[in-house]
Amino acid sequence: MLTPGVLIVLLFSIFPLFFTLMLMFGQVIFSEGKMLIKFAGLANWQRLLQDQRFWNAVLVTLKIVVIAVTAEYVLGLILASLLYQRPFGSGFFRVLYVIPMLLTPIAVGYTWRMILDVGRGPIAGLLKRAGLSPVGWLTDPHVALYSIVLIDVWQWTPFMFLLLYAGLEAIPKDYLEAAEVDGASGWKKFIYVIMPLLAPSSIAAFLLRTIECFKIVDIIYITTGGGPGQATESLTLFGYNVGFRTFDLAYGATIAFSLFFMVLIAAMFFTILTRSLRGIRLE
Amino acid sequence: MRRLAVIVGLVVLVVVSGLAARKFEGVTITVFTQPPPYIAKPVMMFAPDWEKTTGARVNLITAPWGELYTKMYASFSMGVAAYDIVIFPAAWLPDFAAAGFLVPLDDFIANDPYIQWDDILPVYRERIVSWEGKIYAVPLDGDCHIFYYRKDALENPEYQAKFKEKYGYDLPVPPKTWKQVRDIAEFFNGWDWDGDGEIEYGVVEPRRYAGQADWCFFSRAVGYVALPGQPGGLFFDPETMEPRINSPGHVRALEDYVEIIKYGVPGMINMDSGEIRSIFAAGLAAMAIDWGDIGVISETGEESTVRGKVGYAVLPGSDEVWNFAKGQWVKLPEPNQAGYLAFGGWVAGIAHNSQHKEAAYDFISYLSRPENSYVSVTTSETGFNPYRYSHFEKLSGWIGMGFSPEAAEAYLKAIKDTIGHPNVQPDLRIPGQARYFEAVDRALSRVVAGELSPKAALDEVAQIWNQITDSLGRDKQLLYYRLSLGLPPK
Repeated sequence: MLTPGVLIVLLFSIFPLFFTLMLMFGQVIFSEGKMLIKFAGLANWQRLLQDQRFWNAVLVTLKIVVIAVTAEYVLGLILASLLYQRPFGSGFFRVLYVIPMLLTPIAVGYTWRMILDVGRGPIAGLLKRAGLSPVGWLTDPHVALYSIVLIDVWQWTPFMFLLLYAGLEAIPKDYLEAAEVDGASGWKKFIYVIMPLLAPSSIAAFLLRTIECFKIVDIIYITTGGGPGQATESLTLFGYNVGFRTFDLAYGATIAFSLFFMVLIAAMFFTILTRSLRGIRLE
Repeated sequence: MRRLAVIVGLVVLVVVSGLAARKFEGVTITVFTQPPPYIAKPVMMFAPDWEKTTGARVNLITAPWGELYTKMYASFSMGVAAYDIVIFPAAWLPDFAAAGFLVPLDDFIANDPYIQWDDILPVYRERIVSWEGKIYAVPLDGDCHIFYYRKDALENPEYQAKFKEKYGYDLPVPPKTWKQVRDIAEFFNGWDWDGDGEIEYGVVEPRRYAGQADWCFFSRAVGYVALPGQPGGLFFDPETMEPRINSPGHVRALEDYVEIIKYGVPGMINMDSGEIRSIFAAGLAAMAIDWGDIGVISETGEESTVRGKVGYAVLPGSDEVWNFAKGQWVKLPEPNQAGYLAFGGWVAGIAHNSQHKEAAYDFISYLSRPENSYVSVTTSETGFNPYRYSHFEKLSGWIGMGFSPEAAEAYLKAIKDTIGHPNVQPDLRIPGQARYFEAVDRALSRVVAGELSPKAALDEVAQIWNQITDSLGRDKQLLYYRLSLGLPPK
């Protein structure tokens, strides 16, 4: 009974994983119509650690992850808290808020590329009418990365909102009523009751978004292509460019694995955090 | 009843005999290229007729531009007989031919009464599709960069007078040097010179990484480094395989490449070649560099606002050219306007492990024969530009497409003058071309972003080029480079 499942896992997960591992310690040579993999030891890793482009991609990726995921969490929490109070039209807004995450990143990328176009975009038009200078949202090396963050936040805040809203809904009402009886203000209730109880949902949301955000490629590919210069080249895009534009498969595999290790470290951090928070109890 | 049976029998006989006569009945050939419309469109246009005639079927598979090379190479190298025909950029032919991935086509061509091989311009039939003396592909497209300008702007007497007043010389139409292009771009930048109520700009050229900006750079470099009679000026020293990419000529071209952005359409540094075509056809720029596509889109596109207003010319150049042998600038009496066969065009080859080589060749021949290729090059969004003598001789197709007779003549003349220029420079045609060009593309994008100076960036490219050459075998690469220039082995 297990055979088809095992085969599928072997075929689509284990085999590519081992093949990538093999590439990481090898050199791919195309010669006389054949693809040969020669053992190269740690040469690819040595090259990676000395590669300025790699460190730039690491920094770009980390900046995007830290800023975007934090902003998504804060905005998601605000939206979830607002709707948790059941204002008028909350059902409508609940649906409205999740629409961006239902769109494909490619469509989102193209849409934002038009919106942020420095010459013909609507924002440029508004700035011009207001007598302000145009901003190179996607063409200024100092601004482009933050535009990518903006787009990611726009698309993925709904994901945070959904998880945190579900977390809020799961908090037993008794706790909140007890806090009210004890005379806790709205702010104190939020800090001392809601936030601790929301911690597991928060960590799950942070973990999932962090893993996804580390792999960011599609929005960048469409909006800036990694530019200007190297200003927005994430690790995944770097790996893609190396593997698919220059066909340097071994180095591309090494880049992919470096990303894997970074994601692994992030996941371990959140796992440890979750364990340490297990002890939290309401006082 | 008997009469009816006879009639039915005859009909069946006619149908069956008709089907039996079809030479590739039941064969399916797989064609691999980039997604439609560009390049795949002619396959889709001609496949139904060819299928009807031959009984074969055409299965079209596509991959985005960025993945095309890798998918082709992976399929070939792993021995997967995934494709019968591959339609690919001519620059990749050395990679594929040297590795034995493609079938030599000399015998097929020699026995083909329809292809009219001599009708194809010599530069395409002799240099672009051959490798070590054998033909490995059939040209489907003739590619070179030409220069575009707005006649209504540059030929306007009022603007010409103002230009002369400002720069102290007559506004040259068309410009012959990149220095003149710079001045004209500055002059026409940032004001409404066509009276449509919108602001227009000096130039539009691609500057985006992976947006074909690297070809634009070499188009700007060719006039500075391709000294007439000096082989191999653009890429390597043909004696030593030392990169020439960081020569003073290349550096000056890169300085121009960066400076002109000031006079370009806003956001130009994020534009690829597809976008600059729409921008030019929308009437936003006075000048542009492109393959033949801007001409077609401007003169025939429904959205074009510049129909009949476009001038066509060979690429500008420079009256100072870098002499590699002497290591100094040489002043020429006339600007060096050497053409550049950027990209070299799309060609069709047959995979070495194809099970249907004859059918595959028959379809390639059908696509390339004069009457069909004429339809391809005179249909918009095929991405194919003229490459046969017959494409330049008959204007009816171009006029039917939407060109005026004058525009068609001027457009074809610019292409023909470029291809036929005695100092026309071929694109890089050696194994590893994609890697060499990616290094340039990366450096260009960093210079444009202000991360590196032109000299530092090109020095870095030279270093990477040496590493690539060493990894592929310096002697072998030198041999291939010399062969690609038509030089004998050392």
